[in-house]
Amino acid sequence: MPGVMAAVQRFCTVIEIGGLPIALHCDNPAFNRLLAERYAGYVANSDQAAFDFDIEIATPGSGTGDEDLSVTWNSGRWLMERGDFHAEFNPATARGRIQQTISPYSIDSVLRIVHTLLLARKGGFLMHASSAIRNGRAFLFPGISGAGKTTMARLAPPDAALLTDEISYVIPQDGRYFAVGTPFFGELARVGENLRAPIECVYLLAKGPENKIEPVAGSEAVRGLLGNILFFAQDPEFVGLVFDAALDFAGRVPVRRLTFVPDARVWELIV
Amino acid sequence: MSSLITEMVGKALKLNIPLSVHLDLTYRCNERCIHCYLDHQDHGEMTTVEIKDLLDQMADAGVFYLTISGGEIMMRRDFFEILEHARKRTFCIKLKTNGILIRKKEADRIKALGVESVQISIYSHIPEVHDAITKLPGSLADSIEAIQRLRAHGIHVIMANVLMVKNAEDYAGVRALAAELGAQFAMDPTVTPMMDGDRGILSLNVDEAALREVFRNEALVGNVEEFCAPPRGPDEAALDMLPCSAGHTACYVSPYGDVYPCVQFPLPCGNVRNTKFVDIWRDSPQFKEVRSIALRDMPSCSVCTHGATCTRCPGLAYMEGNMRGPSSQDCEKSYARTGIPSENLKKRKASSLSFDSSHLVQIQELQSTAVNFVPIGKENNALNA
Amino acid sequence: MSDKPYVARSTMIAARVLGEETMIMSATDSTLFTLDAVATVIWESADGATPLEEIVKKKVCAQYDISLEVALKDAEVLVEQLAGHGLLLLSDRPIAQPSGPPKVNP
Repeated sequence: MPGVMAAVQRFCTVIEIGGLPIALHCDNPAFNRLLAERYAGYVANSDQAAFDFDIEIATPGSGTGDEDLSVTWNSGRWLMERGDFHAEFNPATARGRIQQTISPYSIDSVLRIVHTLLLARKGGFLMHASSAIRNGRAFLFPGISGAGKTTMARLAPPDAALLTDEISYVIPQDGRYFAVGTPFFGELARVGENLRAPIECVYLLAKGPENKIEPVAGSEAVRGLLGNILFFAQDPEFVGLVFDAALDFAGRVPVRRLTFVPDARVWELIV
Repeated sequence: MSSLITEMVGKALKLNIPLSVHLDLTYRCNERCIHCYLDHQDHGEMTTVEIKDLLDQMADAGVFYLTISGGEIMMRRDFFEILEHARKRTFCIKLKTNGILIRKKEADRIKALGVESVQISIYSHIPEVHDAITKLPGSLADSIEAIQRLRAHGIHVIMANVLMVKNAEDYAGVRALAAELGAQFAMDPTVTPMMDGDRGILSLNVDEAALREVFRNEALVGNVEEFCAPPRGPDEAALDMLPCSAGHTACYVSPYGDVYPCVQFPLPCGNVRNTKFVDIWRDSPQFKEVRSIALRDMPSCSVCTHGATCTRCPGLAYMEGNMRGPSSQDCEKSYARTGIPSENLKKRKASSLSFDSSHLVQIQELQSTAVNFVPIGKENNALNA
Repeated sequence: MSDKPYVARSTMIAARVLGEETMIMSATDSTLFTLDAVATVIWESADGATPLEEIVKKKVCAQYDISLEVALKDAEVLVEQLAGHGLLLLSDRPIAQPSGPPKVNP
């Protein structure tokens, strides 16, 4: 006895950042092409996905218009809401759902949030920082908008591989901390190189009349890190995990202050 | 990834349905691209009535994908009338055009008629280079404007770049331009022979070194290691592989009603002006012959190490002289890709009468320049006249 | 869904019957659907003038061994799915079919 059935053509693009492959499923071919183009360099094979998200493309104008982001934990799921998207993620089933318009801006935000949530359990985090690899070691330059993250990225010499000018990705492994490349960019408007290296040092940024590096005391280091780590969720357990991660990180990775004149000579200090 | 589409194509193959048709409305064009394989005269194009009737026949025969191309399609006065009829008969409509005649009104109509995609050829991001290829000054600017208008309507635009010696440095620039305009980028390193058999324009093809570079560009081919991996010769299952959809689930119709397996495979299978489209598709002896050819029926390719992985175009093989034979342009591509010569390339090198297409071209060029020489005596007379 | 829905095929689609199935592509966002044999019967009868229940009763139940209640429920799911993608128009009164494709003012 036949059923009444319609089947829809599904598309899938797997985006792998920091070793976490997330499959994005949708039935909109234009959006699928947009994903492949936007995340080129981070697209993995479809059989490698560890997490699956279904994306439903809504018509423009159907959002709430509320600019504020809210990320809450409720009955085994993370709920992520902002004016331009509504998303859910169940860590136990490794599945999620996103409703958004065809804009790449929304999916980019959802990916940043999901990675932050996934990293927290592993003692890692995302940070507002540019980062680059030089001589096989990674250097991070955290700072709020205008502090100089993108400037440091722009001034980087050819032998420095840029991981990101905006959102650095930090993962612990075997007692060390690694930075990996991300497709999350700021003003630089291009994806970072998909590479990985152990973090040598974190340089809190300040602009000044001359280039100099100064040590930063313990609690100030932690404050400097926490001020730049991405926190989305209004959930005590999550916040606790990220705090622990920041403390552990500050105990293992040197944090210094880099005061710099915005020209290429500053990179002579980054070795 | 596209499992539903694969399923449907498999079904069409089984039911012998022409799922996809490429229909050229005219060979007339407002450009004169140096690599074009067409003669641009109107030898008696089908009328509006003939074309609409053909579309009805195609719809009834099960055609789903309809690619409308030419020449320049918008030079036909009845273009939008044809397009409206195609929409009425619920085809999935893809257009190929240079876009030069797409102003606001045309873009609005193309949007309103729900066209699935519009492909526009862009040969370079540099106006001088592009315009030298199209032989039409200002054509790049006009084509880009068309792309912008179509994109403003959210229409899927494909920027097609044919790689040749004249624009070999520019494909990265075209790719960047496509990203900027929100268009898909498609690159094809193949200049094909003219439909009448003239192989002169093949001299525009880039050389092996350039091809090798293109095939090692990660941005173009994805995983380079995979793409350039040495092939494993065809296994038993591969020998039953069909070369491509031409004649199997796809075919071509010329502005004069001639039906071919593909625009690049000009084997005449019938003419819709005297035979019904579905009857040509089903019963033409030429189509039946094309359908009978699998890899095992190709003497050189079935024993070639590239057999199962080659991009062999049966149309190019046909134009080279044998629809069961190799396509030397694809042999050259496999070689540039993997560094391993095909059976055909090995035979040609071994043979003392080695077929070298570049030599043939040089001879043709010499002949054409000879025609331009005016004997000095006559020149003087002209000056004195 | 209203008590007595009417369904009509949208004009902004590409569609072709392939054997017993139908391929449909939205002309607005290119999503691709296939309909099985029963769904095809409903699709072909969606003329805007026949209520869905009548289509199911006369076309589906007559041809296939399935109760009206079950068939109608499945049909409603199908219709909502297709309407959600703009392939079918759904209304509680008969839908006038346009005579041709959308015209744009010259």
